[in-house]
Amino acid sequence: MSAFAKRTVIESDVCIIGSGISAAMVADRLSRTMKGRIVVVEAGDEAPPLGQRYALRERFMEYGENPWPNDHLDGYEMEGPLQSRSMQVGGLAMHWGGVTPRFSPEDFRTRSMFGVGTDWPISYDELDPFYQEAEELMGVAGEQGPAAMDPRAKPFPMAPMPLTYNLGLLKEWTAKAGITMWSQPVAKNSRPYSGRAECCRNDTCSPICPIGAKYSPDFTWSRLRARNRVTLYPRTLVRKLVLHDGSMRIASAQAVQRNVKGAGTPVEFRAKTFVVAAGYVWSSHLLLLSASSRAPAGLGNRSGNVGKYLAGHRNQQAFISLPIKLFPGINGQHSLLSKQFMRSPVGTEYLRHDLRVWESTFDRGPRLKGDDGALMLGDEVMRDWRERTRTGVARVRAYYDVIPDRSSELTLDPARKNAWGDPLPRLAFRDAPASAALREHSVGAIQTLFQTMASAGGGTVIQREEDDARGWQDHPVGGCRMGDDPATSVVDKWGRAHDHENLFVVGAPTCVSASCANGTLTFTALALRTASEIAR
Amino acid sequence: MPLSRRAFLGALAAAMPAAVLIRHAHAAAVDDIAASPRTLQALGEAVLPSELGRAGTLAAVSAFQRWIAGYREHVELVHGYGTSALGTTGPTPATKWAAQLDALDRTARADGARSFAALPLERRREIVRRELTALKADRIGAVGRAPHVALALLSHWYDTPDATNRCYQVKIDKENCRPLATSARRPLPLAQVRT
Ligand SMILES: Cc1cc2nc3c(=O)[nH]c(=O)nc-3n(C[C@H](O)[C@H](O)[C@H](O)COP(=O)(O)OP(=O)(O)OC[C@H]3O[C@@H](n4cnc5c(N)ncnc54)[C@H](O)[C@@H]3O)c2cc1C
Ligand code: SF4
Repeated sequence: MSAFAKRTVIESDVCIIGSGISAAMVADRLSRTMKGRIVVVEAGDEAPPLGQRYALRERFMEYGENPWPNDHLDGYEMEGPLQSRSMQVGGLAMHWGGVTPRFSPEDFRTRSMFGVGTDWPISYDELDPFYQEAEELMGVAGEQGPAAMDPRAKPFPMAPMPLTYNLGLLKEWTAKAGITMWSQPVAKNSRPYSGRAECCRNDTCSPICPIGAKYSPDFTWSRLRARNRVTLYPRTLVRKLVLHDGSMRIASAQAVQRNVKGAGTPVEFRAKTFVVAAGYVWSSHLLLLSASSRAPAGLGNRSGNVGKYLAGHRNQQAFISLPIKLFPGINGQHSLLSKQFMRSPVGTEYLRHDLRVWESTFDRGPRLKGDDGALMLGDEVMRDWRERTRTGVARVRAYYDVIPDRSSELTLDPARKNAWGDPLPRLAFRDAPASAALREHSVGAIQTLFQTMASAGGGTVIQREEDDARGWQDHPVGGCRMGDDPATSVVDKWGRAHDHENLFVVGAPTCVSASCANGTLTFTALALRTASEIAR
Repeated sequence: MPLSRRAFLGALAAAMPAAVLIRHAHAAAVDDIAASPRTLQALGEAVLPSELGRAGTLAAVSAFQRWIAGYREHVELVHGYGTSALGTTGPTPATKWAAQLDALDRTARADGARSFAALPLERRREIVRRELTALKADRIGAVGRAPHVALALLSHWYDTPDATNRCYQVKIDKENCRPLATSARRPLPLAQVRT
């Protein structure tokens, strides 16, 4: 029976909007630290249960079908680069790769240390305990890197993913180039953890782990729902937050329970505290949609900064052929990591980047035509393939900083509306002028590094790639930037909206910058920190 | 006598709406390939490596047939990264591939043979080479987008863990569940690989 069959006003102490990984962390911590009623509102459908995921993975492997059927809202094609169309219980982290590096201490102080960007209102040390908590909740398998590059107060909850035979050889190679690398931390089980299985390296972490060895938020929701600690309303889109008559506090979230196409049942969520956990797009979008006569530019937007400072990073990638025999396919999604280049050297042009190395099949797959252009069939194809795989190929990638700019923004698109008549977001990522000026230098320096690496191993760079598809910046953040000054930020250092004392925004949208690494672990650490403030 | 594939499709086209027609055409093509598998098997012998032997080739062809039978049109594809555009699977390749198998038999008959399967291996390869050259095929790509059934069969088999194992002559078993602990050691040699 529908959760709304009996009533259309739902009351709670905390109402969390969105059910992605950041929301899951908030709910988990609140369920342990406060007594009140927690309600979660999610626009998308329930994710298929674990028992169905082997079959869904098969369809994905064979035919490329989406292993999370219908995990989107129809009619949400928008202008600008969207990370993913996925909207379902668990959010994007149902698809994610589970790669969980922390940001580096320097990320929080780029202005003071290097004179670029903006310092965060919190330090790495303040976030460290919440990083730890997130790693323990998700189950992160990681290797402690050299303390100067990779500081942490406590050990990882799980031993690292073992380096495969291939990665072992590649690590020896990078050492010859003077680079220290170690096993990438991942939210995948290197042993049975939290009732979930050990990883069996079948290599489809993104988009789907069939055995639950990779953490995804549905596990947290199942546990909290089984214990009656949260009530989760799927298929329910929040359209607007509404202010109390006499104050700037939020009174309710006006939502629609989606039923048939274009229709829906209106629902009102009333709560003492509202947590917007809708990711880097939908959080600012909802605040902008919530404009009213007392908040004409949208909620939390007296500074005009909602939707601004979208940020991410770019990468340079290369494929390097090496005179070593590799056996691709042992655990292909796993990589080596280095944070050796996260500190920009003093006195040189600003450049910070991480570095990753994977095994690769690039230029080492079976082919139809030989070097002479002749078409091969039968034994010829296999013979040619064997010959070419006597040596291996490494994929190397460096994510480098893009300094955020106010003009990098999410706005409401008057030309595109959803089924309920609300304008869709329009996304435009832009580099800060200082960043744009540094781009050529960054690209050149990273390519030189790749060349040095190739030479150190007696190898050759056989392909170079740059990710800049349609202005995309990867691992996106921003839109509700945190800061101490209400004139230049949307939320304070706890994620509380400067303009509304009972409204919090968590995770990706609050980040000041995007570092040079995947951000989700940082989003979840920030979300836990916000939850600690809500429960205080 | 059963209706020929083309006659059957023609009759359907006259009688049914497009969506229903496509579904039936797919099913008819799948049935047709299954009912007379000799041509596809003969194609397998021509394009797959001989080290598979007869049993291995038949197994590879059967797996490919299962792939064809399991194909579904207009199903949502995994989401692209960095875009809001959604994609769906395309029209069934089965009808085109069934027609191409017919064409191989026709060519063989023009050669004076009873069927494609009755031709010597080298002659079969010549025909396939000519077909692929005419289609400007130059890579082993995704199965579903293969412009010719010969290429689809090649793509399908070369994507298997067995193909990778045979190439490297060790047991990698890519994309299968394997113990984590053994990933650090060099994969073990295959017990029996005929090269
Ligand atoms: C293919 C892929 C691979 C990735 N791999 C990695 C990786 O390896 N490492 C890494 O760090 N990151 C990775 N990411 C990114 C990572 O998945 C995201 O950063 C993370 O999941 C974001 O979580 P979130 O909770 O902030 O937001 P989301 O996951 O976007 O969750 C927000 C939820 O809110 C819901 N919602 C939105 N608006 C409303 C509304 N108005 N009313 C109700 N509900 C609403 C949405 O439906 C959604 O479920 C990957 C992403 C993709 C797509
Ligand atoms: S390698 Fe396989 S088992 Fe391990 S986390 Fe990824 S999908 Fe799950």
